Amino acid sequence: MALVLKHQPLWGDPAPFHAFLDRFRRENPDVALRTETLPNASDVAREMFLTALEGGADDFDVFAIDVVWAPEFARAGWLADLSQAFPPAKLREEFLPSTIEAVTLDGRVYAVPWFLDVGLLYYRSDLVPRAPKTYDELRDLGRAAMERDPRLVGFLWQGRQYEGLNCNVFESIWGHGGELLENGRIALDTDAGRAGVQWLRNSITMGLSPRSVTSSGEEETRRAFQDGRAVFLRNWPYVWAEVQQPGSAVRGKVGFAPLPSISGAPGAGTLGGWQLAVNAHSSTAKRRAAERLVAFLTSREAAVELALHYSRIPARRAVYEDARVKDAAPFIAALLPIALAARPRPVTPYYELASDSIQGELSAAIVGLRPPSDALSRAQRIVDHLESSR
Amino acid sequence: MKSARHGAIMAAPAAAVLAGVALVPVLAAVWLSLHRSIVVFHEHRFVGFGNFHFLLEDGRFWSALRTTAYFTIVAVAVELLIGLPVALLLHRGRGLLRAAVLLPWAIPTAVSARMWAWLFNADYGLLHRLAPRVDWLGSPWTALHAAILVDVWKTTPFVALILLAGLQSIPEDVFEAANVDGAGRARTFALVTLPLLKPAILVALLFRMLDAFRVFDAIYVLTEGGPANATETLSIYAYKTLMRSGDFGYGSTLSVATFACVLVIGVAFVRFLGKPAR
Repeated sequence: MALVLKHQPLWGDPAPFHAFLDRFRRENPDVALRTETLPNASDVAREMFLTALEGGADDFDVFAIDVVWAPEFARAGWLADLSQAFPPAKLREEFLPSTIEAVTLDGRVYAVPWFLDVGLLYYRSDLVPRAPKTYDELRDLGRAAMERDPRLVGFLWQGRQYEGLNCNVFESIWGHGGELLENGRIALDTDAGRAGVQWLRNSITMGLSPRSVTSSGEEETRRAFQDGRAVFLRNWPYVWAEVQQPGSAVRGKVGFAPLPSISGAPGAGTLGGWQLAVNAHSSTAKRRAAERLVAFLTSREAAVELALHYSRIPARRAVYEDARVKDAAPFIAALLPIALAARPRPVTPYYELASDSIQGELSAAIVGLRPPSDALSRAQRIVDHLESSR
Repeated sequence: MKSARHGAIMAAPAAAVLAGVALVPVLAAVWLSLHRSIVVFHEHRFVGFGNFHFLLEDGRFWSALRTTAYFTIVAVAVELLIGLPVALLLHRGRGLLRAAVLLPWAIPTAVSARMWAWLFNADYGLLHRLAPRVDWLGSPWTALHAAILVDVWKTTPFVALILLAGLQSIPEDVFEAANVDGAGRARTFALVTLPLLKPAILVALLFRMLDAFRVFDAIYVLTEGGPANATETLSIYAYKTLMRSGDFGYGSTLSVATFACVLVIGVAFVRFLGKPAR
């Protein structure tokens, strides 16, 4: 039986992953497994799936989906219901809670977490004595370091008009005690929403963040931080390996911590990452084999392999305790509290539809074109229109 | 009578192909624009002019239309103002110089836009080094003008080329006559060159305005329409609605609106061009 797995490139040497897949081939001699690679840009991959799945494509069986697509694709009927093979209760026990929340719609499971991503705060341990717990502390520590060395910028984050901006703003809204879903609907025009956006805008007007954050994505901010030009950086876990490389100007001078919050409790980072789903158009005969492949790829062994060879952050709780991971990838093992606290973007089929409009309005607030309250009420109007009209 | 029918028969295949590749898709888009059609939700129902009604109240549409119109007018005006002197210089220049000037036009837009994005980069960009206080792509006003700059850089050679062709079609003896009549350089240019160049200028204007009004690739690579949708043109808004959100109904409405604007520009120019010269 031919089975096709479609996934994004994992980066690095593909050999360990292929060796791992060979193990599946040996254990399942009845399955002829083939892999296909997706475009690396997430939105391009999504467009591809949108057209293929809408056309009823059945030339791939197991595929990797971005964490925000699961509710939408499930609602469209493109994802096989996996609740039987992967009972939700069992998944909740074994995986980090937010990763299961992101793949569950109306109590049914439509994908299994493969690996995750989460927003966190990097800081220069040679410039500040400790990681800030509150926003005020972040401001004060940043300013103090900037006074000692005027060439430094305080706080780098991603403010370009793209999905990353939403992630940064949502984190700030959560940090100000807000919720993004109210009764299953996206809620932006709230007190915490306004406070969250205002704080990011303030970081620019008070000079803590350079104005260039409004045109920066992950890589621009990572490079500036790695060149030693910033005190704090909000980014994803991949940055850790980069800043510890031999050529890095800040090697050995970087610490990481949960994002700050208004209360001082550890803030939540946005959940990112990839899940494995089974194509609803695949034949029932292939369904069982596809589920076996999903189980194999999301097993503890697989997560350890991905952590060790590709620095992918495990979605399974037990992997953080695994001796091999603790030994060879201590950074990943230490990420557990941050990964546990990760929160998904609003889990609703409407999110992708609304995300683009939200980005535009948030960008307007960040660059100072409109006050946050105006921008958020405009964004809310668009979101309400999208949600109510259907 | 017979020859007219013959002509019609001969033209039929070409007309059929044109209808197949141009008319049918346009009509299909118009038909789709009358529907609420969202792939992900399997929604597809007829809503009449509901989408167009929403379009009239959609602030983002009007802002995209304003941005597109501004982009088109400023970019094409500057291209013409620079293109004309360049054409005059090229008229006397040699082959190598002409080839060199055409270089920006030869580079694929996505590649040159990526290159400019690096020049504008707020950390490493050359332009940022020259003017460190300006965050080119980070604030709405400068981002739009940065996009215009990229378009001007890329398509001025094209405008110059069309004008050059126009210049070369002007017979030398009119200049000689002007010389004999004692007209100075400025007068010759204003009273002889410019009027005779008018058809070429109009052609360049038509091509460029239609092109600029549908601008997508350069801006998409440069800013993706940000910040604050300040560089979002009609094409980008339509693309995002169609492909990112999967809202085929409203996305088609936006495409139809863009098409209508382009049609108006095109028809206006063709009527203008078609007028017999005095």
